[in-house]
Amino acid sequence: MSTWMAALRRGGWTRLGVVYGLIAAWLATTAMHIPDGYLSPITAVILYALVIPFWYRGLQALRKQVSARSVPMIALMASFSFIIMMFNVPLPGGTTGHAVGATLAAILLGPDIGGLAVSIALIIQALFFGDGGITAIGANCFNMGVVMPYVAWWVYQAVGGNAPLTASRRVAAAAVAGWVAMTAGALITAIEFGVQPMFFTAADGTPLYAPYPLDVAIPAMIIPHMLVASVIEGAVTALVFAYLQRSNQAALQLNGAAPTGVAATGGLSYRALWVGLAALIVAAPLGLLAPGTAWGEWGSDEFAELGLSYVPSGLAQLEGVWGAPMADYEIGFLGNASAGYVLSAVLGIAIVVGLVWLLTAVLARRQTTTS
Amino acid sequence: MPDVVFELDRVDFAYEGGQPALKDVSLSICAGERIVVLGSNGSGKSTLLKLLDGLYYATAGSLKAFGQPLTEAAFTDDAFNFAFRRRVGLVFQDTDVQLFNASVFDEVAFAPLQLDLERADVITRVEAALRDLRIDGLRERPPHQLSGGEKRRVALASVLSLGPEVWLLDEPTTGLDPRSQSWLVDFICAQGAAGRTVVTATHDLTIVDTIADRVLVFGEDHHLAAVGTPAEILGNAELLLACNLTHEHWHRHPGQREGHRHLHVHGAPHNHDHERNG
Amino acid sequence: MASARGAIERTLAEIGHVLEQSLFAETLSRQAGVLQALDPRVKVVGLLSLLIAVSVSRTLWVIVALYGVALGLAVVSRVPLSAFVRRVWLVLPFFTGLIALPALFMTPGPALWSLPFGLVVTRTGLLTALFLLARVGTSVSLALLLIWTTPWNTLLKALSVLRVPDGFILILAMTYRYIALLLGIVDDMFLSRKSRVVGRLSTADERRLLAASAGALLGRSLQLSTEVYLAMQSRGYRGRPRTLDTFSLTTRDWAWAIGLVTLAALAMWLGQLGG
Repeated sequence: MSTWMAALRRGGWTRLGVVYGLIAAWLATTAMHIPDGYLSPITAVILYALVIPFWYRGLQALRKQVSARSVPMIALMASFSFIIMMFNVPLPGGTTGHAVGATLAAILLGPDIGGLAVSIALIIQALFFGDGGITAIGANCFNMGVVMPYVAWWVYQAVGGNAPLTASRRVAAAAVAGWVAMTAGALITAIEFGVQPMFFTAADGTPLYAPYPLDVAIPAMIIPHMLVASVIEGAVTALVFAYLQRSNQAALQLNGAAPTGVAATGGLSYRALWVGLAALIVAAPLGLLAPGTAWGEWGSDEFAELGLSYVPSGLAQLEGVWGAPMADYEIGFLGNASAGYVLSAVLGIAIVVGLVWLLTAVLARRQTTTS
Repeated sequence: MPDVVFELDRVDFAYEGGQPALKDVSLSICAGERIVVLGSNGSGKSTLLKLLDGLYYATAGSLKAFGQPLTEAAFTDDAFNFAFRRRVGLVFQDTDVQLFNASVFDEVAFAPLQLDLERADVITRVEAALRDLRIDGLRERPPHQLSGGEKRRVALASVLSLGPEVWLLDEPTTGLDPRSQSWLVDFICAQGAAGRTVVTATHDLTIVDTIADRVLVFGEDHHLAAVGTPAEILGNAELLLACNLTHEHWHRHPGQREGHRHLHVHGAPHNHDHERNG
Repeated sequence: MASARGAIERTLAEIGHVLEQSLFAETLSRQAGVLQALDPRVKVVGLLSLLIAVSVSRTLWVIVALYGVALGLAVVSRVPLSAFVRRVWLVLPFFTGLIALPALFMTPGPALWSLPFGLVVTRTGLLTALFLLARVGTSVSLALLLIWTTPWNTLLKALSVLRVPDGFILILAMTYRYIALLLGIVDDMFLSRKSRVVGRLSTADERRLLAASAGALLGRSLQLSTEVYLAMQSRGYRGRPRTLDTFSLTTRDWAWAIGLVTLAALAMWLGQLGG
């Protein structure tokens, strides 16, 4: 168990409550925009490097679709995006929150062009508002202009499937896409934060940038988002989508919002896959019921239980090399092993899915540039 | 015999959805003429100007400018595009569409820049245009901080910097106060006096007299209803009524027992101070 | 717990705030101050270098010193100090302050002060919170200096020094221009809806209004995008945008450029000394 966890446990539940409450309160009301100073320069540069290919991809897709019209088209869509970010959305209890609008952009324009519009709006926000976040532009554009739109697009296609444009299933798809995309964005942001104290500390261990490790940052960001901000994103997307269904269907047909048949792949639909995955995630805590440790996954401390009186030397040497951020799939913060399992599963899936998307995006781009 | 600038022969235009905008239009416009295109809203005036500017292409019939047909294929040639764009300038009705740059200076510089003129040349033209239209003090302003009259002047400057031979003006007096309106009329007359061709689309009958040598009237059926001098057209009450440029109504003067019909010009202040001619 | 300010009122207030800020920045950028007189490209490169120095520093006092530099630059550029300080430090506590607060107790390290409820402020916790606050505050201050002393359109064109392509600059300029227009439309729609009702709108009405205005905005944006393209075509645009700037570098500009970059380099070097 990490020293962080030990320190927290010693402090007791009151401390956890205070800490959690403060972080959650802040996070639920702002929308994921990272200011300067939270990310180390290396992280910032990496994220710039990750996002720039997507900007090019968006511009290429734009030129392909509307050729010379691309400049006014993307400018107006970015202006629209900017305004959506400024809307206050009413929440139960009398408070309000902001949506990001990346889901709407992705559904209307496709993830590559929609993401570009969101990115441009974010850049103008950073330069125009003077709220900082200039070195963090790459990170923000990656989180909200790449991860969110692609996740939104995928979920929307999976849930919406081949339903007709005016079906209520599409509205539901828009809502779910918004919720999942925002949560995914929060997750990736939390990972970016959580990774900072792991690698970027002073010689005496003082975290130099964002101070909370993964096992704190992830639940602290994801849970308020799942409960509040993601709901706003889903709600706004669904509301505007429904409005457009009634009053401006042409807008919904701009790009692939119409049925594309993507969902059907030789009898096995994406929807079935998602449902199956969700069921597996929920069922994950059942693993806790199984006695002992899975065969072959023993730590050196468990060898005695097996009746062995020695520990293989190689194992003893290498055991401490990698200290897993979420050891034993526990998220101590929650104090509940089942919840820890579920969140670990979500996190694991998200990371794998994210990497696959990135890979396909890069490969697809290579294909279009060589063809 | 002056050169023919625009020549239309049985031109039709319909939008992508099938809505017709112009039907069977044949007309020609010579260099140096000052033309007014009259018609009520929806009669196709704006569409005609866009056709003349090579932004839309006729769906039937032939449209020639400076003797060359204006087709989509023609404009793919860079040389043709550059030459045409320098000779013809269109001022859109909606200034929010015309002014898409973030400052007045950029707006006026846009056209000469796109046409690949030398940097020094561009700056000279911009300065001249800003001076001529007396908007030099507004050069750094963004369009949303300008008044209606100022925006209209910037719109004109953005075309003036090209130095076009032909001016196409779409409802230029919309939203202008009386002083700005009379200033605009002067501008049009000045361009005409300098030998330029000016085609103004409007439904404001009060300025037609001053700015037109010839009037083209479009009916609500999208056909060219009549062509004539301002006197001929403005005197033809039935024509104006049929094209929905005026309307008639009954009214009664105080002290009179009977009402009478009276032709009212759209857009002009309503004046009942007239001879009771019945 | 419904407040007198609902979603609509808050959005209107934020829109008003944005317009106010933009006007304030424009007024300041016309003052006869030191930074205002510099070529904008010098400011972009110089302030960006300082920003990077702040980001890279592992030494707290270097960051604080850079904040001092920012204050100094604000003074010589006739930026009202009270506004400069307030804008940063009154807003910061509500976001970064809230984030940094738990770190005081949670970061493992030698204890400094004990507080009730078993909370102990550690030395490393204090340091890490200070680092975060200092970095965020100084970064925002430097960004503000750039924005408050450079007219927006000029700032955009100065980005060309960072090798940003002309087309992108044109896109940014156009986006900004039409944001103002669309904000006006939203303002009108909201105010006209509000004027038909006494007091606050119900939450359901608010949602309807938000959806309707978003839909209307989208429609207008799409319509504008095709019409603006026609206007661009009419003036010769063929998909290869060009921008024009009237920047020219004087000796003074060069002096400041070298000075700022050297200062940033020095700060970066000193910043690594902290370990």
